[in-house]
Formats: sequence, structure tokens, C-alpha cells
Amino acid sequence: MSKETDAPAGAFAAISKSKLNRIGRRQLIQGSAALGASVALPRYAFSQSEKKSPLAGKSIHMQILGIAGWLPSKLGVDMSPDFAKYAKDKYGYDVSFSFADAPFGTLFQKAATSLATRSQEYNIIISDSQWLGALATPGWIVQLNDIIAKNPELNIEWWSPSIRSSYQVFPDGTDKLWGFPQVGDIIGIFVRKDILEGPGEAEAFKAKHGRDLPKTWEDFEKMDFDQWVELISFFDRPEKGYRGFAAQYSREYDAATCPTMSFMRSTGGDVWDPKTGQVEGVLDTPSNAKAMELYKSWLKYQPPGATNYFIAEVIDAFTQGKVFAAWQWVATGKTMIPPSLEGKVIVVPPPGFKKSDGTLYRNYIIGGQPWVINAFNDPEHMQVAVDFMKWWYLPETSKDYLKRGGMPCDKATCAAADFDGINPWNRTYKYMLLRSSDFWHDPKYSEMLSDMQEAITGYYTGQIKDPLHALNWVACQQQKILYDEGTAQKAAQAQCSGMTL
Amino acid sequence: MLGNDPLIRTVGRVEVAAASPSRRGSADRGHTGFVTFLGRREVLPSVLIAPVVIFFIIWNTIPTLWLIGLSFYRFSLTSGRAPIFSGFYNYVSIINDGATWLDLSRTFIFVVLAVGIETVAGFFLGLLFWGSDRLPGRRVALTLLFAPMVVTPVAAGTFWRLIYDPTFGVLDWFITLLGFPAVRFLSDANLAFWAVLAVDIWMWTPFMVLMAMAGLGSVPRAELEAAEIDRLTLWQRFRLVILYHGKFILMLGILLRTIDAFKTMDLIFDMTYGGPGTATKLVAMTLFRSAFESFNMGSSSALAVILLLISIAFTATFLYVLYIRERRAAEA
Repeated sequence: MSKETDAPAGAFAAISKSKLNRIGRRQLIQGSAALGASVALPRYAFSQSEKKSPLAGKSIHMQILGIAGWLPSKLGVDMSPDFAKYAKDKYGYDVSFSFADAPFGTLFQKAATSLATRSQEYNIIISDSQWLGALATPGWIVQLNDIIAKNPELNIEWWSPSIRSSYQVFPDGTDKLWGFPQVGDIIGIFVRKDILEGPGEAEAFKAKHGRDLPKTWEDFEKMDFDQWVELISFFDRPEKGYRGFAAQYSREYDAATCPTMSFMRSTGGDVWDPKTGQVEGVLDTPSNAKAMELYKSWLKYQPPGATNYFIAEVIDAFTQGKVFAAWQWVATGKTMIPPSLEGKVIVVPPPGFKKSDGTLYRNYIIGGQPWVINAFNDPEHMQVAVDFMKWWYLPETSKDYLKRGGMPCDKATCAAADFDGINPWNRTYKYMLLRSSDFWHDPKYSEMLSDMQEAITGYYTGQIKDPLHALNWVACQQQKILYDEGTAQKAAQAQCSGMTL
Repeated sequence: MLGNDPLIRTVGRVEVAAASPSRRGSADRGHTGFVTFLGRREVLPSVLIAPVVIFFIIWNTIPTLWLIGLSFYRFSLTSGRAPIFSGFYNYVSIINDGATWLDLSRTFIFVVLAVGIETVAGFFLGLLFWGSDRLPGRRVALTLLFAPMVVTPVAAGTFWRLIYDPTFGVLDWFITLLGFPAVRFLSDANLAFWAVLAVDIWMWTPFMVLMAMAGLGSVPRAELEAAEIDRLTLWQRFRLVILYHGKFILMLGILLRTIDAFKTMDLIFDMTYGGPGTATKLVAMTLFRSAFESFNMGSSSALAVILLLISIAFTATFLYVLYIRERRAAEA
């Protein structure tokens, strides 16, 4: 500020008296007015921001905990200098950011061990959606209802109902809000368009299967599971160095669980009853066992070792030309389509299950992560966190985020006319958000996931022969966990005692 | 002892003479008295080991007692509820859980195989290096041999996971180059355990080489020469002289490796995460997941106490074997 006040004064003094005599009265008044404005306006603006924010003039450091190697998390930090500028202009305080991260599998551990000590080490956390219950129940994160009531700009209309239920609400079906969507995410299929449209492929496919080779987004949208298998088996060409497909089957985190549950739910099954906490009789059904068989059957079109594939391995296989198509979270879009593959990839919805009436049904697992705010933040950090959220959902911020490869969830951005064309996966993203939902918003999520992963990967890798036995074991374990916790009304059946995988 | 030191007494006198006021003299007497007190046979050792004892109590005893106490409570960090005293509930649950027994048996198999192979291979390699004092490049070879041991297990796990990868890994590249089909080392439920075991052996055989060389270093040359003069066979020389003198340091190595192998988690975490299915799920991995994924602090504490007791049992057994020698010597 001192420079702003000193500079005009110095300039004024430099004007000689003789010159002053030559300046007309009107010019003198205009000059004085301009001079006065240049001195006073910044002070006025600053005083206004001081009025708006009690933090004006202060300098605050924030730390965000996010997912390592995950573009949307990284964007939250990459864009933070823009917020710093915005905060300085609008609220008058200085803010700086640092970023801590951990891979998906250990992020909750990192967050929980810090929050359990009532630390404000991580002021804002990018949490996985299923952790809302585990973070909210011990009181580690802020319930946002009051904040939203006081800041109406945070009462945002989302693109689909699943955004609110997946990233904000705990317990399911209530109005208690705990998170703001940081990134929406869905399962899409990345297809090598250059291989698909290769010379002679359409004719060969028609000759073999008696129907046209799908080429457009609309063609894939109409595709059922049988047709999908025909397609990946057609393009499964180990002799040419690439296989038909890559998907996630790994033991790590939720790699195998998300696609397996997508198969189960899309074929009419479910994984639990969130109202009663009942797992036995819901998860361990012949229908779900069949869904597991189906997902396992796709392994024969995949590279050797695909049972160890998680997100990174699928990216490697796809970008290095080892597969024709890949099942992947579309949040990885920028990585899945590097410059070398630009224009050679089409991102389409995963196939639907043909119901008895002939219609297609898709009920896939939603990805994505919400922002949550540390409940142990002091008032200053809490205020900055709220200001950050208000900035994050500004239309211009959302647009910038979208252009950098992120995926906003607000209806205004998603419904914009140019949305579909900004990234190759945007259309599929919007489409699948309406056909995807979350699972297990329960404090015992991690334990339930661990049992699920153990059993289903045991089946996919051949350690367990019978999928129904695997599901019986999971149902027993999860029923016991939920009953002990008080969520389930019924205890696990007697036959669960001593059951092993 | 220090109080009787003539130098200190001389210095004391000089100071007393220089500092005439009587207060100075009494301070000096106090100082000398304190030094004398510290120098007492029963005090000085206690003073010297006090920092270690305090450190041990703060960082070992108190957490262990806390762990034992917590094992009698039902307490989940994410439940938002206070711990509930449940007596032996956690212990009974673990004992009744078939999966824990399977994990334990898998761990015992892993420990026996890993430590057994590492000991045999380590001793054999130790013998080779022991008898190759003048071999050119011996130091370089030893340095290379010990390299795996100093690599962080997480780093070792990461690059072995990449080496084993059937699509991008170098090992399968060679295998397919020879005309064989790619082997799914870590994703085949029948192979994963052996693949992880091989990495553990690769990492820790150097440690047993080190112990073997230390043990062999304690073998008296004179006895070896005497055995040679007496025309003992190679096997007799090995059994009666080398192994006789070297076995106790080797036993110490086996003890350390056994306890360490029993705790193997980091390698598994990075290579297979206990999978495929439960193929490589060792009990330390179960404990990690219970404590730091599920945050079941009560039951994971109970499991930790059980593992601690098993480790103590290992140690007691080995120490018993080690002390047999001393007892026999005393009896003789």
C-alpha cells in the first residue's frame, strides 16, 4: 500500500510550479480527482474486503490431503494459486497451499491416523466416497448442513441424484451432508478406434457375426453383454501382440469389487440391504454367483496376469497398445489418452444387460471423491476451507477444472452445450452418472471391502472354485461385522461359525 | 572411584586455595561429594543405564502394557464409541476364527521354508567366501551379494512385482523368448506364494552369509590344521570342527531371521497384498489390515499380543538351545 500512496505524491511533487501555471483549472481538478482516486480506491477496496472477511490481512497456510497419482486430486492443488488470487482480491487475505497424498489403498489410513489425534494437519481431505461414514461417525469431519444454509451458493443443483447420495449423504437416505463432490467418476470403456476402423475389420466382423461392427457412441450404447463379448473376442489377437480387453481384478483396495458389484447389480442382484444391514440372502445368491462367473469368463480375452490389474496396470496395458479396449474409471482420461493416442480412442458406456423385455439395464458402481473438511480446523482454517469451496463451485472455476481434465458435477456445467466436446469421455460420463450409484456408506466399509476383495479375487485367481461358496463366506463375515457394529438386525447364521474360504 | 583420584583431589585443593570465601569451599565439597556419590559401585552403573531404561520404559514397556490392556476391550477407531471392556472376547474370537489359523499355518510354512533355505544357502556361500581369501574380486562379490539385504523391502517388492509382471516384466520376456508361455508369477494362486518366498530368500540369504562368515571366523585355525593332520574327512572336519564352533553364531542368525520372517508384511503388501485370494496372506498382513484398514484396535491388539507370545516362545526356545553349551561347559 505504501508504494501506491507514495508514488502519486512523488509524481505530484515533480511537477514544477511553472508547469502548474500552464495547466488549466479544469485539468487540475481532473488530475487531482484521478490522483485522489488512485490513492483512495485501493484503500476503499481493502476496507471493503476487511468488512467482508475477518481474515483480511492475514496469511494462512492450508494443507490438502489427496490421492497420489490421481489427476483430479492433483488439479485441486494445481488450481489453488487461482484461489489464492481470488481470496486476496475478494477477502483480502493471503493463502498458500501444500499437498499431501497417498495411494488409494492407504489414503484412509493416512487420514484416519491424523484425524484420530484431533489434528488439523490436513485442513481439507479428498476422501473416497465410501469413507463418509467412517469419517463422519467419529466426528472427524464437518457436517455441512449449517454451512450450506449460511452460504446459499453452496446449495448447488447437481447433474444427477447419485451425486448427492454418493458424495454428500451419510447415513443413506437422510439429509445429513458431509461432503462436496471434488470429482465425479464412472466406469467407461476406452476403445481403440484406429483398430476398430482398420481396413477389412467391418466386413470380417459382419461375415463372422452377421451384424455390423459397432463404430459410433450410439452403437456402443445399444450393446449388451453378449455382443460385447463377441467384439472383444473378435479383436483378441495375441499373435499381433494385443489382447481384446483389460479390466480390474486386483487384490488391491476395491479393484475387483467395483466391477464385480456392477455385474451383480446390473444383472438384478444387490450386495446388501442398507436399511436393515442384511447381507446374508442378499449377496450370496445364485444370480450374484453367476455374475462373478461372467466377469471371470472375460479373463480369457485379457493379457496374462490380468488378475493383478488395478488402475495403473490397465493404463499401462492400454497406452502401450497391449489391448484393444479397456474398462477404466474415466477420471483417468488424460492418462488413458496421451498425445500419441489423441483421436484414436473412443470412450463409450459399458455394455448393458438385456432384460427379459429386451431393454438394456445398467447399474454400475460410481467412482469419484468428495471434499471433506477437517472438524478440528481452527476458525481461520475453517473459514478458508468454506471460501475455497465457494470458489471451487464458481462457474468459471468449474469450466477451468473441466478443461484441465477434471469432471465437475454441477448441472450448470454438465448441461452446457459445449460440455460433451471438451473431453472425449464427457458424454459417457454424463450418461453413466445417471446409471451409477455407490455402495456401503458404512463406518465398517474398509473391513467389509477387505473380506469382499479376499473372496472374489480368490475365485478369479482359481484359489476358490465355487463362486457361491466365496459369496457365502463374504456374507457371513459382513453380517457378523454389521451385527457387531449394531447396523444389522440379525446375527450371522450358525453355519458361519468356523467357515473358511 | 573418581573421588579417590589424586588428580581430582589436587584440583580440589587448588580451587579451595584460590577461592578464599568459605561458601566456595563448601560448593566444592558438595561437588566432590556428588562425584564421590556417583563413583560408588552401586550407583554409577545405575546412572549410566538410566537413560536407556527410561527410553525403554517410555517406548517399549508402556506401549506394550497399553497394547495388552487394549486387547481386553472392544474398540473400533471409526465407530465413534468409547471402548467397551469385553474380557477375553477378542482372544476367543481370534481362536475361533478359522481364517486366523490358516494365516498362522501359512506363516509357519513361510518361516520354515524361508529361514531353512536362507540358512543352508547362506552357510554354503559363507563357506565359499571363507575359503577364498585370496580370490580376486572377493570384496566386490561380497558387496554385490549383500546389496539385496540393504534394499528397503518396499523398494524390493516394487521392482520384483515389475520383474514378475507377465506383460511388461523382464523375467517373462526371457521365458517367452525361450519359447515357453508367460508365467503368471503373482496372479496364479499356486505360484504367488513361491514367488514371494523366492524374493524373501533373495533378500535375506546375504544376512545368513554374514552370520555364517562371523561364525566361521570363530573357528580356530589350529584345530582345522590338527584335523587335517589327523586326516579327518571333509565331512568330519565340517561337522566336528567347523559346525561345532560356528553353530552358535549361526543359531543367533536363525533366531533373528525367524523372528523377522514371522513379521513379514512389507514385502507382501507391495507385491501381492496377501493375494491372489489368500495365497500369500501371512499373519502380519492380517494384523496390519485389522489395525490400519479396519481400525479394530481391540481385536488387532489381541492378535498382536498372541504374535508377541509366539515370538517370545521362539526366542526362549533358541536361547535355551544356545545356553545348552554354557551349561555343558559348566558341568564339565
